[in-house]
Amino acid sequence: MRPGAFLRLRRDALIFAVLLACYVLLSGVVTNSYYQLMLTLVPIWAVMGLSWNLFSGYVGLTSFGHAVFFGLGAYTVALTMNAWNLTPWFGIPLGTVVGAIAAVLIGLPTFRLRGHYFALAMLAFPLVLLYVFQYLGYQEVSLPMKREQPWAWLQFTDPRGFTLVALGLLAMAFGISLAVENSRFGLTLMAIRQNELAAAAAGIDARRAKMAALVLSGAIAAAAGGLYACILLVVTPDAVFGMLTSAQALTVAMFGGVGTVWGPLIGAAVLIPLAETLHAELGNIIPGIQGVVYGLAIILVMLLAPEGLFWTLRDRFARGAVPPEPGPAPVLPTLTLRAPAAAGPVLRVENIGKSFGGLRAVDGVSFAVARGEILGIIGPNGAGKTTLFNLLNGVLPSDTGTAWLDGEVITGRPLHAICRAGVGRTFQVVRSFPRLSLLDNVLIGAYGAGLTGAAATRAAEVALARTGLAAQAQREAGALTNKELRLMELARAVAGQPHLLLLDETLAGLGREECEAVLSVLRELRAAGMTIVIIEHTMHAMLKLADRLVVIDRGRLLAEGAPRDVVENRAVIEAYLGRKWMAKTCST
Amino acid sequence: MTRLAMTRRGLALGAGAATLAGRAGAQAPAEVKVALLAPMSGPWARQGQLMKLGAEMAIDDINAGGGIKALGGAKMKLVIYDAGDSTEKAKNAAQRMVAQEPDIIGGTGAWLSSFTLAVTEVTERAEIPWLTLSYADSLTSRGFKYIFQCSPTADDQATKTLPIILDLAQRATGKKPLKLGLIADNTAAPQSFVKPIRATEAARHGLSIVVDETYTPPMSDATPLVQRVRGSRPDFLLFIATNIPDDKLFMEKLNEYGLGPGRLVTIGNGGHMATPELVHVTSPKILEGLMVTMANWAGKGQETLVRRFAERTKEPWMGQDSIMPYADMMILREGLERAGAADRRKVAEAIRGFDLKDTGPAQYFPSKRLSFDDRGRLRDATLITVQWKDGVPHPVDPPAIATATAFWPKS
Repeated sequence: MRPGAFLRLRRDALIFAVLLACYVLLSGVVTNSYYQLMLTLVPIWAVMGLSWNLFSGYVGLTSFGHAVFFGLGAYTVALTMNAWNLTPWFGIPLGTVVGAIAAVLIGLPTFRLRGHYFALAMLAFPLVLLYVFQYLGYQEVSLPMKREQPWAWLQFTDPRGFTLVALGLLAMAFGISLAVENSRFGLTLMAIRQNELAAAAAGIDARRAKMAALVLSGAIAAAAGGLYACILLVVTPDAVFGMLTSAQALTVAMFGGVGTVWGPLIGAAVLIPLAETLHAELGNIIPGIQGVVYGLAIILVMLLAPEGLFWTLRDRFARGAVPPEPGPAPVLPTLTLRAPAAAGPVLRVENIGKSFGGLRAVDGVSFAVARGEILGIIGPNGAGKTTLFNLLNGVLPSDTGTAWLDGEVITGRPLHAICRAGVGRTFQVVRSFPRLSLLDNVLIGAYGAGLTGAAATRAAEVALARTGLAAQAQREAGALTNKELRLMELARAVAGQPHLLLLDETLAGLGREECEAVLSVLRELRAAGMTIVIIEHTMHAMLKLADRLVVIDRGRLLAEGAPRDVVENRAVIEAYLGRKWMAKTCST
Repeated sequence: MTRLAMTRRGLALGAGAATLAGRAGAQAPAEVKVALLAPMSGPWARQGQLMKLGAEMAIDDINAGGGIKALGGAKMKLVIYDAGDSTEKAKNAAQRMVAQEPDIIGGTGAWLSSFTLAVTEVTERAEIPWLTLSYADSLTSRGFKYIFQCSPTADDQATKTLPIILDLAQRATGKKPLKLGLIADNTAAPQSFVKPIRATEAARHGLSIVVDETYTPPMSDATPLVQRVRGSRPDFLLFIATNIPDDKLFMEKLNEYGLGPGRLVTIGNGGHMATPELVHVTSPKILEGLMVTMANWAGKGQETLVRRFAERTKEPWMGQDSIMPYADMMILREGLERAGAADRRKVAEAIRGFDLKDTGPAQYFPSKRLSFDDRGRLRDATLITVQWKDGVPHPVDPPAIATATAFWPKS
């Protein structure tokens, strides 16, 4: 569980319980069976929205095809009831299993795709199944009516029974969502949403986490579909696999707010009654008018509250929190390093190379990094510096050469495994999770490195203290300055307790004073025993910080040595520093 | 949220009050509500319109004749719900009907068997006697007690169609056809129609099925279907669709390929294939000779009814889709008269007890008999055949209602 999650959990669960009680009371006084049906549909679509949010909201891969799980759940219930006389009380759990299996089968090929391609691929699955079920002759499967003990078959003469069952399902889905949102797993998913590469660099096995989220999400959607079948009475491919089903899941979540458990609840509570009331009141007078009004309502909310109602309302009313006063300067806590007590260089690189088509981005580079050293890597834009980092920590596979970390080969190992071996990495462009607190942002690094529970929290707090951000721990990352963001990214890498840090332009865009502050943090880290390799363009900073410089030009190693020697090297001046630099250094 | 909840409660209370009022007036209601739930929009809308015309005429006739006498002359009132264009919409409409009209005593609908299947899942639970002209066998094989199927079932029609057609061919040409073509859409009624033909009936009559295609309505292009028909050259073709757009596309394409009913004998099924629209959107030539089997037709003996219907609606004839709801309203009236109370359960009970011959609502059925078996199927349900001639469908079988003689087009 994440730090502070318990309080949050207790508060959210309490609010939910109160709302649930009110809803049950409301359902008790509604006697009109059509409005009661509406009261049943709200929790069902809320569950569907929660399911969508659990995957697309947290992982950030938009799914246009959640109907596939919904439909499979519905057909599982309808077909098993017809074929084996199985009650939906068992049919729905069976449906969740089918949904989970479908999620695995869908995830395996689809996770290779990203962004729009993923969304489009997901769109195809329910459409394919729609035709498959038509072909199989399941155009309409009705749930046999049971006259003896109808409740045993999830059939109620009093429609309030359905509302109660739907609320029960909602409570389960909400509980699962709440647990995920407040857990290490949820934080992991949000990390993937922000930047899959950065998440993997922080040690997270993104593929596995995405799969787990889709399986959970698919199972929940299938449960909603199974219950929906009991209300639908007649299951048709269009009703459960149709485009509208997927859209509905997406709409309630987007309307209410993506990435929070409350979003789908708000969306369903507003949109479903709106659509159904319009349908009931106007459906017979102007068929189709409800669709127009519904569409307009959605457009309006998207314009006025683009992040969804929940976030907009929260920003307006609950943003009272002033950043806390900085406390007395903290004593720097000791840094735990997971460094083996091996002798020899931390990192050794031999003849490493990578081509993109005809371009030799990195061409046979060899160097070594001694324990406790700060090695600067400099070179003109496009020299291959970032590509070199990408080869070292497994973002890209190398074509030639080998790299050893503490004497063990790391080339060819996956990104998250290299991270767990003790290599931390920051990126040129800071990827923060703006809605999360600073502490949560940094925790992701600790979780990625395989730390759990209190140990992870401790590591994150230590990292924040070492980067001077301890006082800001509870602030949202979205409110930080550029310097604080750079430090936060550094803290995220440090939280993984690496003994080798790969920093990619950590000083970019910082003023002179800010630069000084970051430099002192880096020196402290080195003093605590960390080895640092840094790419940087700010030469003055580099001269002050680095013990040694490596110069790369057009993929090749151009020079190597003490900073003063390197900057006076004629080849380096020609290739990178330029004649002005020479003039300046000669005059001083 | 709070405001919405308030509105909802308000609505609910309103509905409750309506129920109370209904109960208080149960002794001598000023009016009794019956329902027509049929497609008023979408590809099946025209069938719904025709049903509405028939039902409204019946209601006017009943009220002009003094209403329900057993209820002190209470007027009958028709409420109409749109089944739309999908099973889900139809079922949704039924749920709205049950909620918003707590005092209806019976109804008819929803034309397409798939819709009726869904609608009766709702009406059965609400114990509303539901009359239907839909064909699918599954409608009355679910053990339901409040459904009354007034047509021969699809199975029954399939069994009866082939002997009628073969007999006709024998008489007209002296030769027995050997090769049969089957085209059907994938909704409930056509599927339950073609199933027995595939399984036993074709073989029983010594026919081989040379082409057998199923499509999903609405049809987007008839070319591939017609090409397969042309390639396999059947002696006659059964085309079992459910809506006019599909009929038009397919019949036109048949003609385009030189396979119109004048060349290849084609037999359709269902009221939609004998509507004025079909001839408006195609032409008399395209339809000439096309035979259509269905459940009912206002033929011989109904001349006055047909004339009055044509006068008030400007429709050129009264086909299955109008005479059936007309008869249904008459059945509900008879049920009310016998029940003596505006109570849906008692009305259902009365309808179950019917055994009428030549009188009352029975005169609107080709067999002139009205009695339902314990599954709710009409006893002695008769299949009728009409044939297009000069842009008008004429009933040609059974002889009791026939106004013309059938002809087998000579190719």
